[in-house]
Amino acid sequence: MSENEKVFSQNLLDRCISCGYCLPVCPTYQITKDESSSPRGRINIMRAVQKGELSIFESLEESSYCLGCRACEVVCPAGVEYGHMLEEWRDAAWQGKNRPLIVKLLLFVSTNKFFVRILGLFNLRNYQKKKKSDVNLMLGCFERGLFPAVSKSTLQIFNEVSLNPNQGCCGALHAHNGELTRGRELAKNLGEKLSGTIVTTSGGCAAHLSDVLGKDRVREVSQYFYEKQMLEQLRPIFKNQKKVRLGLQDSCHLRNGLGIFKEPREILKKIGDYQEVPYASECCGAAGSYSLVRPKDSKKVVEKKKEAIKKLDLDYLVTVNPGCQRQMATNIKKGPKVISIVELIAMSLNTKESA
Amino acid sequence: MIDELKALLGASKVKTDAVSLETYSKDATPEFQGQPDAVVLAETTEDVVKLIKFANEKKIPVIARGAGSNLCAATVPTSGGIVLALSKMNKILEISKSEMLAVVQPAVNTLELDQEAAKMDLMYPPDPGSRNVSTIGGNISTCAGGLRGLKYGVTRNYVLGLEIVLGTGEVINTGGRLVKDVAGYDLTRLFVGSEGTLGVITEAIVALRPRPKISKYGVAYFDSLENSALAVEEIVASGILPATLEFLDNVCINSVEDYANLGLNREAGALLLFGDDGDEHTAESNTSEMARICQNTKGNLSVTRARDVVEADALLEARRCSLPSLARLKSLSILEDISVSRPMLPVAVKRIEEIAIKHQVVIGTFGHAGDGNLHPTIVVDKNQPTEVAAAHQALKEIFNLAIELGGTITGEHGVGAAKLPYLEARLGKTQMEVLRRVKKTFDPNGILNPGKLGS
Repeated sequence: MSENEKVFSQNLLDRCISCGYCLPVCPTYQITKDESSSPRGRINIMRAVQKGELSIFESLEESSYCLGCRACEVVCPAGVEYGHMLEEWRDAAWQGKNRPLIVKLLLFVSTNKFFVRILGLFNLRNYQKKKKSDVNLMLGCFERGLFPAVSKSTLQIFNEVSLNPNQGCCGALHAHNGELTRGRELAKNLGEKLSGTIVTTSGGCAAHLSDVLGKDRVREVSQYFYEKQMLEQLRPIFKNQKKVRLGLQDSCHLRNGLGIFKEPREILKKIGDYQEVPYASECCGAAGSYSLVRPKDSKKVVEKKKEAIKKLDLDYLVTVNPGCQRQMATNIKKGPKVISIVELIAMSLNTKESA
Repeated sequence: MIDELKALLGASKVKTDAVSLETYSKDATPEFQGQPDAVVLAETTEDVVKLIKFANEKKIPVIARGAGSNLCAATVPTSGGIVLALSKMNKILEISKSEMLAVVQPAVNTLELDQEAAKMDLMYPPDPGSRNVSTIGGNISTCAGGLRGLKYGVTRNYVLGLEIVLGTGEVINTGGRLVKDVAGYDLTRLFVGSEGTLGVITEAIVALRPRPKISKYGVAYFDSLENSALAVEEIVASGILPATLEFLDNVCINSVEDYANLGLNREAGALLLFGDDGDEHTAESNTSEMARICQNTKGNLSVTRARDVVEADALLEARRCSLPSLARLKSLSILEDISVSRPMLPVAVKRIEEIAIKHQVVIGTFGHAGDGNLHPTIVVDKNQPTEVAAAHQALKEIFNLAIELGGTITGEHGVGAAKLPYLEARLGKTQMEVLRRVKKTFDPNGILNPGKLGS
């Protein structure tokens, strides 16, 4: 990078008025209580990098310690687009040897058609090919391997949603991990491949796709279900003659980036005895590739949720993003079953009238 | 020096990396910055004592810091030295319902204390605009105010006792849990608003109050701010001491409307938000009486009362949006804080409008109509040196105006480094000298937050 090349869009940096409203909601600041690991502190680091007072290398650690959950954006009175600034930051900082090895691997796999096909191979053959429609399901790169039931349930619930198995990655992983241009390119490509509305089962993908393609083109699955006014079709699920106890873990980018948090809750209220999980709106520590890149820090972030969830005595903890699903399932060993919201919806729709 | 410090406190509590020195070089005040030489994250009073003794011996400046949300550069290390971050000392040690008080560490968050008090039907009344981030220690150090000042007073009215580490490293406990206590000078009050220049607060005992059961609100538009001020005079003269009396001027109304589209009356000269809290009957009768007074005041355009919580929230939104909407107009917003006696309020606002026209800068004014505290907010493009210079000229005239009207240069934000140059105009030479002597008593080597009060 040459001396004159600016890392950040100056108008994004100028937005912050340094009021500090973001401090209390930042998961890493909550842990360290150190200004440097707060959003305001990080923006001051970015500003110093932009002015050449700090080197990009010196800023590396904080660019990586940040979860990128964007909780700071929601409380910001000045409308700072922190998520975009973080993307620019990592785009500059995470080059060459500064990019974590695990990130390199993830990006390689998710962009490689061959590998992605393999991830989904076993499951893909079970999908019924449906005729073309103007609503298309996006298959998560890793979700299709890790949680194949999620996509299957989606196709089962919505007749009009079709599947084009020949689709690439949405590029969210790239945009958040130092390959901003590539990440946006991939989203555009996907937008061309899948016509009309794109339905996704991942909050993270939904936010990135919306960012590149526009909000009108993209629907996260619980939002889609809600907007289609299908709530009334849901039937309660019972266990031992009682409605199942349900809790939700929000997806950060779905909630903080797209403002969607009411919709999944309304769905859960129709299916069972809904309990608001303490800290549900706060990052679970999955944060895209974070739990793999910084496993220790990721565990610290999820820690306070564990006790709170245990107390609620839930039957199901519901997620709206595959990363969160994996994180919660890994960290909550003896507790509620962790399940995606589409699987639960499918279960509810398959439930007989009288239980 | 750094090695000694690390040996003294433990290496993990001392930071000297370039990133830390950068992030602790600023607070919420625009245009002020100063690199410290080290940052110490203290965890106990013992840590603070060790650090101060060390710094006093070596004559190194120490700048205590809570959340860094102040607006007067009170925590900017303008002379270098060690930033003493107290953010880890954030425990509520005790809430006593029967004594109606709380014992807290300095970095307890203001809103959190109020929420914990609420669990016992109590409240911590001071509610500065930054209360979701600010700390009790910071509030005490700047004597933070808030929206309920007229009815409930400000931070100074709620501090009962303090544990303080002086500039020498000596620890004193002022006041206590007592309602009445006149043994000695009222040092507690002296430390309130002392901005970390006399000692470091390591523990505080604050008073709580019974929590009001309900709040009721209404909003009135007037053709001019003068006429809205007449309504305010009438309200207070009628014997009501309302919890809420906030106003927005025309610039604010329009910038809020551009930003949030709340359906405000863009033609109005002033928006007056009124409300009261207490039991159902008192809150209701006071709020309807205020609505009646507004209606009967000349220049009134309309009055609306909130029927429920949702409607009340919509009304409060306009006030909450004032700063964000102004801040989004341009890249630099300087939020000021003069205070005048209530009868002088319309004159002050009119003169501020004239200052804005004279210097061709945008100034939106909102504030606390009930207590005369105004927040003229100047917004300019920070990359345009002529605009920035005009803003500073306007600022100076606003301070002079406040003093001319018998008011003060800061009502609730503090002096810090930002307003120190204007302080003598308010206090006079002799009082400035007294401040210096007071400081010398508590901090003989002048290590505590130099370049601020008492310097």
